Amino acid sequence: MSRSITLGQYFPGQSLVHQLNPRMKLISLLFVLALLFSLRSYSGLVALFFIALFLIAKTRVPFRYFLRGLRPVLFIAIFALVIYFFFTSGGIVLLRVGFITVESEGVREGIFIILRLVTLVLFSLLLTLTTTPLSLTYGLSYFLKPLRYIGLPTDEVAMIMAIALRFIPTLMEESQRLMRAQVSRGADFESGSIFRRAKSLVPLIVPLFVSAFRRADELALAMEARGYRIGAIRTRMHEDTFFPRDWVVLAVALVMLAASLTLGL
Amino acid sequence: MFIGTEKLTHTYMPGTPFANEALKEVTFDLSQGEFALIIGPSGSGKSTLIQHLNGLLKPSSGKVYFEGNTVGSNKAELFNLRKRVGLVFQMPEEHFFSETVYDEIAFAPRNLGFEESKVQVRVTEALEEVGLETRTLLNRHPFQLSSGQKRLVALASVLSLKPEVLILDEPTAGLDSSGRRNLYSLLTKLNRSKRLTVLICTHHLDEAAALADTVIVLQHGRLILKGAAKEIFSRREQLYQLGLGLPAVTEIMHGLSEGGMKVRTDIFDLEGARQEINKLKGRHVK
Repeated sequence: MSRSITLGQYFPGQSLVHQLNPRMKLISLLFVLALLFSLRSYSGLVALFFIALFLIAKTRVPFRYFLRGLRPVLFIAIFALVIYFFFTSGGIVLLRVGFITVESEGVREGIFIILRLVTLVLFSLLLTLTTTPLSLTYGLSYFLKPLRYIGLPTDEVAMIMAIALRFIPTLMEESQRLMRAQVSRGADFESGSIFRRAKSLVPLIVPLFVSAFRRADELALAMEARGYRIGAIRTRMHEDTFFPRDWVVLAVALVMLAASLTLGL
Repeated sequence: MFIGTEKLTHTYMPGTPFANEALKEVTFDLSQGEFALIIGPSGSGKSTLIQHLNGLLKPSSGKVYFEGNTVGSNKAELFNLRKRVGLVFQMPEEHFFSETVYDEIAFAPRNLGFEESKVQVRVTEALEEVGLETRTLLNRHPFQLSSGQKRLVALASVLSLKPEVLILDEPTAGLDSSGRRNLYSLLTKLNRSKRLTVLICTHHLDEAAALADTVIVLQHGRLILKGAAKEIFSRREQLYQLGLGLPAVTEIMHGLSEGGMKVRTDIFDLEGARQEINKLKGRHVK
């Protein structure tokens, strides 16, 4: 019974974006983010925005998943828009209500900022929606490797992160099961004062802790039984491979960044 | 029409790529005092089905009814349902959270809003119903008990609701054979003496088969067989195709019969098998 795989945001698919090497995706994203902040021209930003839209269409992930990802930045976007509209001066006066004026420069910059923010989030979502959390973790751990020379156990940290990710759905399922079990004994998690509700969580948290510790214990034992040792060199079952398309994506990102920096676009 | 479902369909995570239709138009009903088994391979929808009977899951379509009334979705109605239909989850002792056995069993009656004196009566009664010695146990920590005792305390913690229907999901999982026998004899007793309707989900048929009046077979979320235990267990080939098989005792009787001995094959418990084989011995002696 494993039907709770809503871990992270990953949306399964077979598109080109899905199949890109996760390390390459991470690096390319980094370049694109740098590019976003170096861009100063509207045309450049709009072009990048359309590149994001093109890639989104390519992934075949329904657009509403991207919209859902944009929701958290909605507030910041509106806030920024208001600030820029009302407090940036310059250009033609578009609107005057009492002592508040909206001038064209403010509108221009406000929209620029928001477009930048939206594009930034869209590119990040392109990564998280098309990459499984596990390959993201391994991708990240690859870039942490140099830290081993200053004594950080990077492989072990990656293992901890991977295990944590692996057990999120398990714990979610467990807490759901617990909740149902206690509800069927008449528990009520929804009504009452905050204090009452906090107290009503005890029948949930105690067994969850007990089982989490038991699981951790068993897992440690099982790993050691299969030869896991701290500091040992490990290989991976699925070594990620680089294809020409990965290099192409990386090169495109890099060229765009370089062009923007040198040409001042 | 005591408790049952009508064309019950349930889809997990509808509208996502992970959507999974766990139940498809399942219709069945039980009468009061019936002892029924739901069997089916893993992932056949057993757990999903029983959670509907307790109002823990909402039907995607179709309905669940209890005492002739369709179960609605408002809070008071569901609370009332859960009071009268007790559900014992798989490995219920993993849901313990209290520091004493008393508090654990008192959880349900306290949630019903009883005052402490009444709670105490309920706890003592529930412990007696499951056959545990009360005085010594009540102040112990639930984690200190043996696994058989834990299971009984878990059962008591549901019986303290005084339900009219008791639903159990794999009640003997993780118990040793004496624990299993004990639990089943207890369930039989509750069923007979209190007219408690019992519904058990399991794939361990050995202990349960002889006790059941009715057997329901699920596969891939569909109800494919329902009938008297004798009738269902006579469909040996079909059950094997489903990966379910027969109780071991019945299997032995089939083996004897195929080996040319004249024995009945519709026998599900050891005692019945012993008598049948003794009859055979009698014939041979003569």
